[in-house]
Amino acid sequence: MKKQWRYSCLPVLVIGALLTASSAFAQSVDTARIEAAGQNDWLTYHGSYKSYHYSPLAQINASNINNLSVAWIHIPGRSTRGLQSMPLAADGVLYYTGSYSRTFALNGATGEVIWSYFPELDEALIARQTHSPYNRGVAIGEGKVYVGTMDGRLIALDMKTGKVMWDTKLLDSQKLTVGFTGAPLYAKGTVVIGAQGGEWPGRGPIFGVDAATGKKKWEFLTVAGTEDAMKTWGNDSWRTGGGGGWMPGTYDSENNTVLWGTANPAPLYDWSGADYKTQGARPGDNLYTTSVIALDIDTGKLKTYHQELPHDAWDFDSAVGEFVMLDRDGQKYIVHPNKSGYIFVYDRNLGVKNVWRITQNSNFVKDIDPKTGELIGRRDFSAGKVSEPLCPHISGGVSWNSGSYNPKTGLYYKLGQEWCMTLEVQKTTPIVAPQAQLNIGADFKIAPPPGGEIYGHLDARDPITGAKKWEVRFPEPPLGSVLSTGGNLVFVPDSRGTVHAYDADSGAELWSHGDGTGHQGGIISYAANGKQYIAVVAGFGGMASDDYAPTFGGVYKSMPRDDGALVVYSLK
Amino acid sequence: MRLAWKITMLAMPTLAALVTISTLRAQQPAPPTQNEELDVGQLFATTCGWCHSDGGRAAGKGPQLMDTKRDDEFIRNRIKHGKEGAMPAFGVVFSDAQIDEIIKYIRALKPHQG
Ligand code: HEC
Repeated sequence: MKKQWRYSCLPVLVIGALLTASSAFAQSVDTARIEAAGQNDWLTYHGSYKSYHYSPLAQINASNINNLSVAWIHIPGRSTRGLQSMPLAADGVLYYTGSYSRTFALNGATGEVIWSYFPELDEALIARQTHSPYNRGVAIGEGKVYVGTMDGRLIALDMKTGKVMWDTKLLDSQKLTVGFTGAPLYAKGTVVIGAQGGEWPGRGPIFGVDAATGKKKWEFLTVAGTEDAMKTWGNDSWRTGGGGGWMPGTYDSENNTVLWGTANPAPLYDWSGADYKTQGARPGDNLYTTSVIALDIDTGKLKTYHQELPHDAWDFDSAVGEFVMLDRDGQKYIVHPNKSGYIFVYDRNLGVKNVWRITQNSNFVKDIDPKTGELIGRRDFSAGKVSEPLCPHISGGVSWNSGSYNPKTGLYYKLGQEWCMTLEVQKTTPIVAPQAQLNIGADFKIAPPPGGEIYGHLDARDPITGAKKWEVRFPEPPLGSVLSTGGNLVFVPDSRGTVHAYDADSGAELWSHGDGTGHQGGIISYAANGKQYIAVVAGFGGMASDDYAPTFGGVYKSMPRDDGALVVYSLK
Repeated sequence: MRLAWKITMLAMPTLAALVTISTLRAQQPAPPTQNEELDVGQLFATTCGWCHSDGGRAAGKGPQLMDTKRDDEFIRNRIKHGKEGAMPAFGVVFSDAQIDEIIKYIRALKPHQG
């Protein structure tokens, strides 16, 4: 009897839950809907397949922003290395992740938890990892939420209940030590996710997985993934590996392709000297590392690519996932920032159309030819002390976080970072089997730019020509993503923990608010029950932000690196 | 044990190692002896140095290791087990003898000349 009673009770609860949530699950999310990018939602990491990180919502604007205040917050717990994810929003429900791939579905208006999912992970493995245990977000589509894990799995959860629909092991993380930190991309029945790589022996795979079943459809190796590419790794140096594609790229429906950015080869620094094609740790161009690649979404076959930095000897990779898709004067463009601070402008076949630079301090090359993308005056080090500091610093001229393109102003809002490093390159023995993580190849230390101080800046630029309209400076480089809105606003969550809002035309600061700890993750806008919200993750820690306390002191000395919150703003 | 063997590769001259690479897969590693030499300077350049700057001489993401006041037991423990969210655990990578080598290197660290 007792048992029966429990069972009969269940359907009632379920119906109740469905009723409250019914408005929230009005439609399913599919490729066409992500492509259309309805103004109330944020359906994929980069906002839409166009990667604008822009919300057309205009309820919050210059005239009322003084009334913007905290609507609700959510604490995910166990935020080791802070919070780094990009929330998504669909039909008034917000989905986001914290460290250890903790996944939440929250009522977008109230913050009430609809469901949560904490995967059981291989904690001993995670203790061995360097770039871990943060997670940078989920993908949604076909009624499921997709999340990657540090122990090499891709998991699909029912969007309504959080129930596991499938759980696919893609990577032998025990052996490779790397896993997934980046958000997946959903498009056309396929979930695409790229492995970490860069500093590890491994071939940096990117996977296409069937969204319905969780079955692997294809795998593309960013290290020597084709016969041609194999020839660009002299002395079998492909075994030292690297690559990977640890940030989500985007989907180009017209070409049926996935666009993805790849990470650097290992070791990061090479002692080859000028003869890098024949000498040093990994003689040759090292394809397809530090490249942008176009893969057929159905087969994973490489259609075209551009290697932004052939034989990357500085760890200025192409892993940034932004592919800003623009139409101007009948031409279609793709804008992709390289970690070095050079911004590449391509046509839709990844042919170089222009290259411009966002940083002031840069000397790893003299220039990059804006017509061909060719590196001019590259600095290839030999073993020993490097005389002139290398700029930018290993943390990059830009972060892996995203800028924002506002179609109303036609401007691209992007953060640049001004910092350098002293460096002593070491000739090391090849590491061809995973042992400890990291394969750097140098001793180094952060340093200010020649004749100046470290700083960061928000630029408003023409995305194609790079022409600058205005700039706002920050005493320490902000590491988070940027959001612009139809309300003519640009939001920047900074490293000290303040969210700033600027006038999108002039750069005048209109509003700011403290979130209590540094930012280094996503910011989005969405609507729930007809009301606009701004959601931002706060929580500091990781390979870039861990330098802030020793370098800048001040508020960073006491800033936790194991804490975080999702903070959501609305008008009072 | 296999992992410990791989570390010994680090200590070998580069050229020899390059030659070995191609045959590495085919060979079965010999079991390591307990007193294998580890090129700790090189280990800092590959692995520890992102966080312990300048070969361990300067503070970075991790503390300065030169002139550390920590005792051997503490250092051994930290290298083996790491610290969540701060430093990776190297317990499966290094043998006790190799950790002794690392401690010796840390104790001998001096500022760069000039
Ligand atoms: C990802 C960054 C990182 C890497 C890589 C790393 N460490 Fe650390 N290490 C740290 C941090 C952070 C601490 C301080 C931990 C704490 O809060 O007590 C630390 C602490 C230590 C300590 C204790 C020092 C003290 O005074 O407390 C030793 C010894 C040490 N590390 C050695 C090493 C060695 C040897 C390696 C390479 C095999 C290494 N570390 C690699 C970040 C790192």
